Amino acid sequence: MMLDFQQYQHAFTAHIRDPKNNPKPNNVDEERMAVYREGVYNNIFESASVCFPVCQKTVGNQDWDATIRRFVASHHAESPIFREIPHELVKFLETDPATPDYIKQLAHYEWAELAISSMQTKTPSLSVETDLLDEMPVLAPAHLLLQYDYPVQKISTQFKPETSEPTYLFVFRNPHFDVHFVELNPMVYLLLDRIKQGTTGKEALIALAEQMQHPDPAAIITFGHAVLTDLLEQQAILGSTR
Amino acid sequence: MSVLSDINGVGLGLKRELIPQIQRHFQHPQPDALIRHIDFVEIAPENWIGAGGKYAAQLAWFVERYPIACHGLCLSLGGPDPLNIHFLKQVKQFLADNKIPLYTEHLSYCSDFYQNKPGYLYDLLPIPFTEEAVHYVANRIKQTQDILGQRIAVENASFYLKAPIATMDELTFLNAVLTEADCWLHLDINNIYVNSINFGFDASEFLKGVPAERIVYSHVAGHYQQKPDLLIDTHGADVIDPVWSLLEQSYALFGTFPTLLERDSNIPPIETLIQEVDKIARLQAAAAHIKCLTKSAA
Repeated sequence: MMLDFQQYQHAFTAHIRDPKNNPKPNNVDEERMAVYREGVYNNIFESASVCFPVCQKTVGNQDWDATIRRFVASHHAESPIFREIPHELVKFLETDPATPDYIKQLAHYEWAELAISSMQTKTPSLSVETDLLDEMPVLAPAHLLLQYDYPVQKISTQFKPETSEPTYLFVFRNPHFDVHFVELNPMVYLLLDRIKQGTTGKEALIALAEQMQHPDPAAIITFGHAVLTDLLEQQAILGSTR
Repeated sequence: MSVLSDINGVGLGLKRELIPQIQRHFQHPQPDALIRHIDFVEIAPENWIGAGGKYAAQLAWFVERYPIACHGLCLSLGGPDPLNIHFLKQVKQFLADNKIPLYTEHLSYCSDFYQNKPGYLYDLLPIPFTEEAVHYVANRIKQTQDILGQRIAVENASFYLKAPIATMDELTFLNAVLTEADCWLHLDINNIYVNSINFGFDASEFLKGVPAERIVYSHVAGHYQQKPDLLIDTHGADVIDPVWSLLEQSYALFGTFPTLLERDSNIPPIETLIQEVDKIARLQAAAAHIKCLTKSAA
């Protein structure tokens, strides 16, 4: 049962969300009502602009504005944390029939960068001497290993993919708090996925060679070691541990 | 262990742009530092809970050097959806982890129950001033205080639209809620001024009607004049003279209390912004001096 003042609140916020379908409460001044309507929309629009600059440009201002209005009208945001507003938008886009798939995925990718920049992590313990084969490689603790159907990192106003192209990315925060990404081939994606579970480099590579039914596991180990060494140089891997 | 009396003197809202500037000017001890009058800083838990990386490092830097006050935005004390207990527990842990003695919230709401589902709207919406709403909000404040195991302060919010269903004025509503919830008052001086213009009442009279014994904290800020009779509480401009004058009046009426400068947008460099911090310090010193003279005369 709604209390009387809550019925008023209900009409008030319903109108803020979706003024076309919900009239403002009775006897409410239009100019003052507009302050709230625009205030709510502008706050969310600004948060979205900061996190999703490429989405906004690619979609175009008019469609982006309409997207944000659909979000305000129908999404039930679950988190009071402001940093989570972009994630709320990503969740909304996933269910939004008017948003193309590649934009949904681009939005997720743009959100991932923000999420990684503020991800809470523990400082990992590392061996003094790094051994990427016989010990467990330690990934930068703030990271996401991502798989998309489109090359999200290349999308722009000039490039709107029409066909899918499997894309694998490792996005991570380095010790100086900068966020970088590495484009992966499917094999390296699988390698990092195994390493995430906590195995030595060699074990991960042998398992991978088996999975691929590769005739020459030694070649996979040599190749894998070079890849891991390169990731170490980029600080996507910080070292190794027993 | 931190206590409420750690929050004293003058504070500055800790915006991201200001963090490196404060760090650059910080000296210890700091009798000559540009920022010597910043006694404490204020943060919104909604901006910092769960933040890692450079944000966690920045917060740790401030926790080591300044008392911190928490000023919340999304607890939604007047909201129709159930109070967010999970979030309150996060706030409780956050206060403990960062030695924060004071948590304040707005007398407003920022969420709804649209199509029978709770959802955040991330803005401060006006609670209709009715008897039912007094009890409802006071109960939620009590519930909050029970969960946190400490008293909170509630801020008189700025607003632009008086609900046609209201049965009392803002001051009556504010006093009724504070009394019933037995919580502290976070007195926002700029909000009194903004509302006095938006609804045509006398700001000084309003000030005289707030419960002095409950004031633990206050804000001053600038606002935006959309029309002569419509002020928007943007925190994006300098504090104007009538607001400074109200702050002076409140110190004269109630004695000094910790006062924070809010500046959330259009933020000038610290070298400029600090002049307003210094002005609060001067007004506090002058008020303390007058009180001292009055005492010795008596």
